[in-house]
Amino acid sequence: MPGASSNRVELLQGTLDMLILRTLVFGPAHGHQIAKHIRQTTDDVLQVEHGSLYPALHRLERKGWIAAKWESAAKDGKREFKYYRLTPSGRKQLLVEESKWKRLTDAIAGVMWPAPEQER
Amino acid sequence: MRWSPRRTRERDLERELRSHLELAAAEHEENGLSPEEAALAARRAFGNTTRIMEQAREMWGWNAADILLQDLRRALRNLRKSPGFAATAILTLALGIGASTAVFTLVDSVVLKPLAYRNSGELVAIWEHMRFLSFDPVGPNPRHADLWKKETTSFSGLALVQEALAGLSLGSEHPRLVGSVTSSANLLDVLQVTPVLGRGFLPEDDVKGRDNVAILTWSLWQTVFHADPHVIGMTIRLADVPRVVVGVLPASFRFPDANALRPFSRKQKGGIAIEPSVFVPAALDPNTFGWDGDFGNWFALARLKPGTDPKQAQAQLALVERRIAREVPEGQRDLYTSVQPLRDAVIGDSGTALWMLMAAVMGLMLIACLNLANAQLGRAVSRQREAAVSIALGASRRRLIWNSLTENLLLAAVGGSVGVGLAAAGLRLFRGYSPLDLPRLSEVHLNLTVLLFSVALTFGSMLLFGVLPALKLMRTDPQVSLQQSNSRTFGTKRTGRLRACLVGLQVLGCTALLLITGLFSNSLLYLLHRDKGFDTTNVSLAEVRLPNKTWSAAPDRTAFADSVLRGLRAAPGVQSAALVSAMPLEGETWIEGVARIDKPNLQSLINLRWVSPGYFETLRERLVAGRVLEERDRDLNSAVVSEGLAKALWENENPIGSQIATEDRKFTVVGIVADSRSASMKSAPPRMVYLHYKDRPPFAVVFMVRSARPAGEVLAGMRQTIWKSAPDLAITRVKTMNAQLNESLAGERFQTMVLTAFGIAALLLAMLGIYGVLSYSMVTRMREIGLRIALGATRRRIYALAAGELGIPVCAGLAAGLLAGILAARIIRNLLYGTQVFNSSVMLIVTALFLAAAGMAAFLPARRAASLDPMETLRSE
Repeated sequence: MPGASSNRVELLQGTLDMLILRTLVFGPAHGHQIAKHIRQTTDDVLQVEHGSLYPALHRLERKGWIAAKWESAAKDGKREFKYYRLTPSGRKQLLVEESKWKRLTDAIAGVMWPAPEQER
Repeated sequence: MRWSPRRTRERDLERELRSHLELAAAEHEENGLSPEEAALAARRAFGNTTRIMEQAREMWGWNAADILLQDLRRALRNLRKSPGFAATAILTLALGIGASTAVFTLVDSVVLKPLAYRNSGELVAIWEHMRFLSFDPVGPNPRHADLWKKETTSFSGLALVQEALAGLSLGSEHPRLVGSVTSSANLLDVLQVTPVLGRGFLPEDDVKGRDNVAILTWSLWQTVFHADPHVIGMTIRLADVPRVVVGVLPASFRFPDANALRPFSRKQKGGIAIEPSVFVPAALDPNTFGWDGDFGNWFALARLKPGTDPKQAQAQLALVERRIAREVPEGQRDLYTSVQPLRDAVIGDSGTALWMLMAAVMGLMLIACLNLANAQLGRAVSRQREAAVSIALGASRRRLIWNSLTENLLLAAVGGSVGVGLAAAGLRLFRGYSPLDLPRLSEVHLNLTVLLFSVALTFGSMLLFGVLPALKLMRTDPQVSLQQSNSRTFGTKRTGRLRACLVGLQVLGCTALLLITGLFSNSLLYLLHRDKGFDTTNVSLAEVRLPNKTWSAAPDRTAFADSVLRGLRAAPGVQSAALVSAMPLEGETWIEGVARIDKPNLQSLINLRWVSPGYFETLRERLVAGRVLEERDRDLNSAVVSEGLAKALWENENPIGSQIATEDRKFTVVGIVADSRSASMKSAPPRMVYLHYKDRPPFAVVFMVRSARPAGEVLAGMRQTIWKSAPDLAITRVKTMNAQLNESLAGERFQTMVLTAFGIAALLLAMLGIYGVLSYSMVTRMREIGLRIALGATRRRIYALAAGELGIPVCAGLAAGLLAGILAARIIRNLLYGTQVFNSSVMLIVTALFLAAAGMAAFLPARRAASLDPMETLRSE
């Protein structure tokens, strides 16, 4: 687990993990769908690099936070996709990451836009 | 298979990326692009697939299997670079593990495994001890045993057993020799064995006249009767007695052979032992036996009631035995009993011998491993630079250690598997020809316990010679190592001390082994050269067994003996011929009480032998007084006694002409012969009484011939002569007396031989260790030595310097080794004859031998150091 390190890569990586986990809350999805979902929900602000998406997916799978299964797509039964779904421990992990992220953004916000009601 | 996890993962990722691309392309197509353009666009948007794969791979990292594989490949590469070391290491380990495994298999099968009977822990042997036999355990007098059975409550069953060889025939064909067991009818109940076919013995089988039944072992039924289910009810002839087969025992049933189940537990080489295969009831009537004598003819095998302690049983027996003692003649009332677990009785002294062998082989293994550790340490030191570079480049120390252990693991695994193969092959050889005369040999085979032992041994040795070098690598400080310009200076003080310690340990093991080897050689020499009291050269032996049934008439047996002796004496080259009622060197038999007629309270127990005139001449036993037995003694009831007996019964009186009573008959002493060890080379000469064979013509007859020609050349002639007198007789054994002597010491000879081999191997290994360590240390100190020489050190000083390097570990190891050897020898001292454990001459020889060897090993590196050219050494730095 990356600790309090402020490494840029690790920060991004952590964010991507969180985004993937959050996306999967809505139900199983394959890589293309995940990427598309993130792009669309952020109005194309966040473009997920495929080069990081797939290694990330495999990493999460390895950690047991998501599970994968080859299934044919619901619309056309022809093609098979690797569908990822959230595992219970993944769900827990999502909560952890979320609260961490919240703390981080709050802290950053506190520095950037100090406001009286932002005290802790 | 080794590749699969990685391969599948890669293929999975590839497929995933492809499906992504296809989907993206399909979407582009939907938006109106042509298929080619769509595919192109999708790929463009996706980026470099190879890079993605690479990134994924990087993320996966190396898992344990990959690491192991990688390390193994690396270890293989390293070992291939030093094939000499690899070959030596594998060979050493294979031999070490092979020998240890083989010996452990013997220990496991013979000593550790319980006997293959139900609740075998309850089975015991019961012995009697008496003063005459220096309280050595002997099989009981049947009348005593009968009383034990009646008057104690500790046993659920008590059986008397006697083993013999007998001719078995089904009718017409020649009898074959089988092992037969004569026992009280309850033997199978005591052993808790039920026949698979037919029935066991019934109490009524144990009555004289109704005892003509027999039970066969499975293997006899399989081989001789071809597993005929109608065997029950068939009549066989066993030693010419017809018997009806009533049962067949289970296939797994084994009964200890005559050598394992001796009515004398005193160590002695038994005769030929054939696996028992026919069981017959003894139909003993205890009342026909006297209270005295008849010891050692039967073996008492009993089963303790569940939960009964052998000590409890022994206490009960002691009470009964006290009553029995009142019945025996006054001089022999020092009588007591002992209860011994049957397994211990069967194993006998073989256990000690095997444990000793085990200790020796493990010691050797340890020495070999120490050598490998030393070699690996040397290799590790020279590889330290490599390790330092690896550490500096970011390799984890754990990984480095694991890496160096893999190499040893590889060596140990290869050595271990070759070793187990060697052990299996060796055991097959050993079973065919076993000089150790081991009990339970048919039960010896490699099993799971043994394999686990070998695996443990393999890993143990791997750790032993792998961990030190690995730890050495772990302590590598990259900065220090890399700053040092020259690999020669790597050997640190600490490594030097460590290696000296290893050498010390080696010396310890080696000297201990040498000391024990020395003691055993001394003991064997003593046995070979001690005064036998008889002469074996040019004496040949032939043993026949007359079946009781056909030869029940004594005059027939006398006539047979007469005619064979006549034939033998007439044969060309024969100087003298004789017969005796017991095979020489096979222990004490036919033990009886003897008393003076004039002073009946002067009594002794003796070995009775029925011999022919010519017996003492043939064996060249020395006559002390009176005369030897002659033809005229045939009807005179004459007896010749041994010197020991004469001293015991007559002290300063003259025994010649005196009358003695034994076996309820009277005999007149006509001569005294010197004590001889014709019963056993390993014990004190027993007291003997020799009678003319006409008195009780033996059923088991040993003919002996002294010839002018070498003994081997007359053996065939002896056979012919015997057959001329009785053509249908089975001749049990024909051999030279020297062969008989050697066989009676075969166990000792084998032990000494094995120990000597181990000792030499240990010495060579220790020399190698000393040489290796010293040359290495001399090379690392080359510069210093060059400087010393340049400053005027003499050659002698350099030699002293080299000697000082290992002087302390070698001397400390030597002293500790001698001590350890003595301690070990104390444990096995009952395997040694005429040899004190603390034996200064053996210790001196071992010390001298070892110091000479150590000096030789140290000389080469020392000379190399002393003849250094200081200029060259210093310039090269």
